[in-house]
Amino acid sequence: MVLALLLVTGTAQAQTAQELVTASDAVRNPGHPFRLTNTLAEYVGGKPRDKVVLVVFAREDKSTRQFSNLVRYAEPARDQGKLVLLDGAKMWFYDPASKASIRISPQQRLIGQASNGDVVSVNLARDYQASLTGTETLQDADRQPRDCWHLDLAASTADAIYSRIEYWIEKGSNRPVKGKFYSDSGRLLKIAYYRKYETQLEGVRPTETIIIDAVDPNLVTIMTMTDYRFQDIPDAWFQRDFLPRLRVEE
Amino acid sequence: MKRSPLFLMLAGIWMAAGPSPVIAQEDFDLDRIPDTQPATSDETSRDVGTAQQNKIFLEDALGLTGRRNNLVVPSPSAHQPDVQARSSLDVTAHRDWADGLSATLSDRLDLSWRNDLDVSSHRSIANDFREAYLTWEPVSQTYVESGRVNLRNGSALGFNPTDFFKTRSLVNQTNLDPSALRNNRLGTFMVHAQRLWSDGSAGLAFGPKLADASPLTGTDPGGFDVRSGRTNAEDRMLVSLTQDIGDFSPQALFYHEADRTRWGLNLSHPVGQSIIAYGEWAGGRQASGVAEAVAFGKRTGTLPTTAPVPASADSAVSFKNDLALGASWTGSEKVTVNAEYHLHQAGLSRRDLRDWFASSARGAPSLANELWYVRSFAADQQNPLVRHQIFLRADWTDAVISHLELSAFAFISLYDGSSQTQLAASYDLSDHWSMGLYAAANLGGAQSEHGSFPQSASLTMQVIRYF
Repeated sequence: MVLALLLVTGTAQAQTAQELVTASDAVRNPGHPFRLTNTLAEYVGGKPRDKVVLVVFAREDKSTRQFSNLVRYAEPARDQGKLVLLDGAKMWFYDPASKASIRISPQQRLIGQASNGDVVSVNLARDYQASLTGTETLQDADRQPRDCWHLDLAASTADAIYSRIEYWIEKGSNRPVKGKFYSDSGRLLKIAYYRKYETQLEGVRPTETIIIDAVDPNLVTIMTMTDYRFQDIPDAWFQRDFLPRLRVEE
Repeated sequence: MKRSPLFLMLAGIWMAAGPSPVIAQEDFDLDRIPDTQPATSDETSRDVGTAQQNKIFLEDALGLTGRRNNLVVPSPSAHQPDVQARSSLDVTAHRDWADGLSATLSDRLDLSWRNDLDVSSHRSIANDFREAYLTWEPVSQTYVESGRVNLRNGSALGFNPTDFFKTRSLVNQTNLDPSALRNNRLGTFMVHAQRLWSDGSAGLAFGPKLADASPLTGTDPGGFDVRSGRTNAEDRMLVSLTQDIGDFSPQALFYHEADRTRWGLNLSHPVGQSIIAYGEWAGGRQASGVAEAVAFGKRTGTLPTTAPVPASADSAVSFKNDLALGASWTGSEKVTVNAEYHLHQAGLSRRDLRDWFASSARGAPSLANELWYVRSFAADQQNPLVRHQIFLRADWTDAVISHLELSAFAFISLYDGSSQTQLAASYDLSDHWSMGLYAAANLGGAQSEHGSFPQSASLTMQVIRYF
């Protein structure tokens, strides 16, 4: 009977942790298709080095709860017009100079700045099974103490990019505060802090994400999200043949 | 939100226990956040649209070529430059107008200098009028394009059997890497209509004959000629159909040009987290590549009408296949490797190549000329010379230091192991400046496919300024 009780309460606890992640996903991602401009400033040893500007189109498939993304490079000049399509197993890279659409693997997705989008518009609750590690008072990126749920997310679908994520969600607001992303081998790959919460697209959302590279200790990327807009995004956009057709309104 | 009593109890215990040492360790991560002022909204939202978009760059390239002596088959092009320099202005512009109408222009102006050519010669200036077309979207997801359009197909890297508009499209190149060759090629004057739906598309392209076929070598007009004799020497038609089926992204194609009809198919599929497998096939009835090259040379006046066709050349028309099968693998250190097998059934067999070398070496100058002509024809068509070859390519992004890209590729003949290879390094000095260094070589014995070329090696330096 004790075993049965533990099983029941354990299941209830897991479901609740999953609910926390679902609520946190809703804080990061609007419920309708949208676009935003993502400026990625790269710092090496605390000094600015590179800037990449991406226009991101994102849409959630309501049946699968999976996000599909179209990412277009606006800067730097040498990469202007390049596109990355991320739609489940369909991942393509398009270069307007060669008119070539090249299919890319999940591993290739992790190369390049567009990969940092996977800590922004992704439904973690869909691809990961959450469990509660505990509650902690954690300093956020502005060194303000936040009472957080500390969750451990284990990959539960083949679409999960990371094998495991440690995730801190502020109690009450369900705002994500911090994430630590691990590879299959258990290697810590990146650390993310979410900050600068503002009202955007009918919700209070983090407009800045700081990504600390755990492999290269000198490398930090600050992603600033601006120009949020709801945008009608048809199904036909998420295929290879649409990539040369994408037009971005000012 | 409902939470179980045990969940709350456990949370209470954690809170009562206070922050653990782990938490203090978590805060160490904060020390790595740079103290900076984030970009303002004005800075980040500037120039992200495509309504008016230009991509302009200046490119300077200097090339040195090393040559072989005592070729088994003497090259008829005795005077080739050992030193070449080129400055290029490359412009791509796009404008959106009202009612779904837009215009695209892509052009490149080359100013060249060769140590065997006077700079005052008209051939030292060449304009590549690559694309100029209007796009109209009369209804959502339906597009009509008219003008000179670079329409490209194919999933492979080293050889694209289904890239039917690739023939005779190549212009000046600095980098021999197939992935870079496509950056600078001529489009075809055509009308292209395409309809997209949720998981597929259909397209129809028609390019009319506008000029007689221009000769392959010797009299390329250069200058500001649009070279429609290359791209629109016949009526050309392409029908394509794409429909997502089981993660294979299949694309079927039908191509017709003059007396030639080809069918094509593209497939690709992910295998695990790191591999993409892909295949590309095209097939149709045609004569051998040698017979087609000789016929083309006679028709355009480059070869005499009495030029002999080598005995081994198959002039009979039969169904012939082109195939590229390959896979790409990406490692965790930003290294991507492609390996491909290429079949070009209209190409030379091992015996064809051996016999031709032997007869040309025995002192048959007309056959020697034809061998070089056939080689030029195959290169102009972007087809392999022989039937079987392997293509390998490796690319390392952010190699050793950030913004340094190292790459290498090799076309390897399966007949004799000879290869065309290139090692390349490119580095982005800033957002606006890039530089590249390319070292290429034709490796192999004197009677091998690649070792018989007069160019033994080349070195090219390149600087690009983006605006």
